[in-house]
Amino acid sequence: MRELVAYDTIGYPTDEKFLAFMKGIVEVGASAIEVGLPPAYAKYDGPVIRRSYRAVNTRKLEMGSVLKELRHYVDVPIVVLSYVEEHLANVKKFLEEIYSYEVDGVLFPDLLIDFPNKVEEIATITKEVGLKNVIFVTPTVPDSFIVTTSKLTDLFLYYGMRPTTGVDIPIGIERLVRRIRELVDKKIIVGFGLSDENDIRLALSAGADGIAIGTTFIQALETGGVEEALAKGRKLMGLLNEY
Amino acid sequence: MVDEIIPKYWYNIVPDLPEPLPPPRDPPDDERSKIDLLRSILPKEVLRQQFTVERYVKIPEEVLSKYLLIGRPTPLIRAKGLEDKLNTPARIYFKYEGATPTGSHKINTALAQAYFAKEEGIAHIVTETGAGQWGTAVALAASLYKMRSTIFMVRVSLEQKPMRKTLMNLYGGEVFASPSQLTEYGKKILEMNPNHPGSLGIAMSESVEYSLRNGYRYLVGSVLDLVVLHQSVIGQEAMKQLELEGVEPDTLIGCVGGGSNFSGFAFPFIGNNVGKEYIAVASKEIPKFSLGEYKYDYPDSAGILPMIKMITLGKDYVPPSIYAGGLRYHGVAPSLSLLIKRGKVRWREYSEAEVFDAAKLMIESQGLVPAPETAHAIASVIEEARNAKKSGDRKTIVFNFSGHGLLDLTNYESMMKRLRE
Ligand SMILES: Cc1ncc(COP(=O)(O)O)c(C=O)c1O
Repeated sequence: MRELVAYDTIGYPTDEKFLAFMKGIVEVGASAIEVGLPPAYAKYDGPVIRRSYRAVNTRKLEMGSVLKELRHYVDVPIVVLSYVEEHLANVKKFLEEIYSYEVDGVLFPDLLIDFPNKVEEIATITKEVGLKNVIFVTPTVPDSFIVTTSKLTDLFLYYGMRPTTGVDIPIGIERLVRRIRELVDKKIIVGFGLSDENDIRLALSAGADGIAIGTTFIQALETGGVEEALAKGRKLMGLLNEY
Repeated sequence: MVDEIIPKYWYNIVPDLPEPLPPPRDPPDDERSKIDLLRSILPKEVLRQQFTVERYVKIPEEVLSKYLLIGRPTPLIRAKGLEDKLNTPARIYFKYEGATPTGSHKINTALAQAYFAKEEGIAHIVTETGAGQWGTAVALAASLYKMRSTIFMVRVSLEQKPMRKTLMNLYGGEVFASPSQLTEYGKKILEMNPNHPGSLGIAMSESVEYSLRNGYRYLVGSVLDLVVLHQSVIGQEAMKQLELEGVEPDTLIGCVGGGSNFSGFAFPFIGNNVGKEYIAVASKEIPKFSLGEYKYDYPDSAGILPMIKMITLGKDYVPPSIYAGGLRYHGVAPSLSLLIKRGKVRWREYSEAEVFDAAKLMIESQGLVPAPETAHAIASVIEEARNAKKSGDRKTIVFNFSGHGLLDLTNYESMMKRLRE
């Protein structure tokens, strides 16, 4: 059986729906959840997730209380997703704050790409603070970097296969997964622009341990609310259970 | 023999870079995703190659057969005449990309992209061109695959080089001067300045817009990773040819417009640790290496394409009009930019006068008229060979002769008039 990692932007579309979706998706079978914090510049996000960031940014959001409440609902790992660019001035303080909300880990999508020389340092601080590292790699990361940085990841290695989330750029999924599968013995979760069932099957057949889904859930939350998003989740779990 | 030299795969350096390559990006304030828009701009398989990063990508049989048709592998020639003229202990070789029918390396990617467009059922392709080398390559590739082609040519170049237009027309391409009245962006530029000389960035925006509006597809001539990938036939052949001659290269040199011929030539060497130093050469008049910034910028002036991280003079850069040396593009391919920033590839810039002298030396000693772009590389070869003479170094210099200059004679005419009293 392969894994589902579910993404939603914190408090989107509302705190209640966010929490209901997260609780529900864990019951459906998600093995970890990812919570996005709205950044100033969502460098690697497509239009749908950017829209969700803008929406939550316009209202007063108590990040701490939402995350703490989430902790009450779910016992699977909670990973906070945030662009490290925003925290360079004081990474440790940010990580300590996140840790105080009782989440498990952190994922910085721009760490390896924009700050390749800081990966070790920041991964070490993350561990010292008590959080788990989820290292994010892409196809443009050289083999040698994939090998060394994958050693630093704790829960799983996150492989963002497309240049941005939610945009269905044509890519050779099997070839991309096989390339990294040969280099890494950690758990590999693939994501970014993954929604097509056939794409997902290709990734799983090529050796991915699971999938990370965000845009699809957000679109479902927007059109049909929590129920529709959870129905999507059930469908995906069905597919994952075939493997 | 040919079979032994032409590679069966394109080589991609991305998995072998010293650092992660920053990917194309949507700007912060984007209304519609430019990355998403790429799906309507580029042929699907071309886009897939841009984003499916593998070390080796199989060259389709059909493209290989076209490579043969245009005379690949191109020759690797020892420049004995130039060595003698410079009285240098260094050995000098060049890979002669001028041998293709269109006279430059550009056909290597034009054929691949046109093939993928054809396979997808596209009937009409569009692109921009500066000096005309890329436009010519696209017009030929389109005609070989029985497609129509439209080329937006930078206005000053078109005025200086009417013969390039003739050649593109002979291949069946239609050619417009850019800025033109055919696109909103062209009209906007002309409103601000009716005598605008044009630039590659503007012509690129016009072609993309024109292609989008008519449902055609756009072919990319340089800069993007997929182009660099296709051009890797140059370096792979050269490596094999040197090996067959029993020659170990020391210094590899190429000129840089958008970076495709340099990268196609040098990356297989760099990735396989063959050679000791790599020199990328640009123009002093378009000082991208000395004055450019390494940052996210648009490849085209209108900003229709996603931002890429590169050494750039800015998307609105307009090169000096009288300058005739080529290499006018404002940016440098992201992978090459990264290697330059990390010091793996060194750079040089030469003035038009130095480039002209280098071209003359080449013409006198080898009989070959280089494209003005190529003459930049030759200027650096000459400097290296002279240094070798001073130090008594018997090193081997290999450079990429990216194109011949037989359709650039007006450029040389202009240089002769301006540069010689
Ligand atoms: C003969 C020749 N060499 C070099 C170049 C520079 O382009 P690139 O750096 O992409 O090879 C051009 C561009 O038009 C060219 O025509």
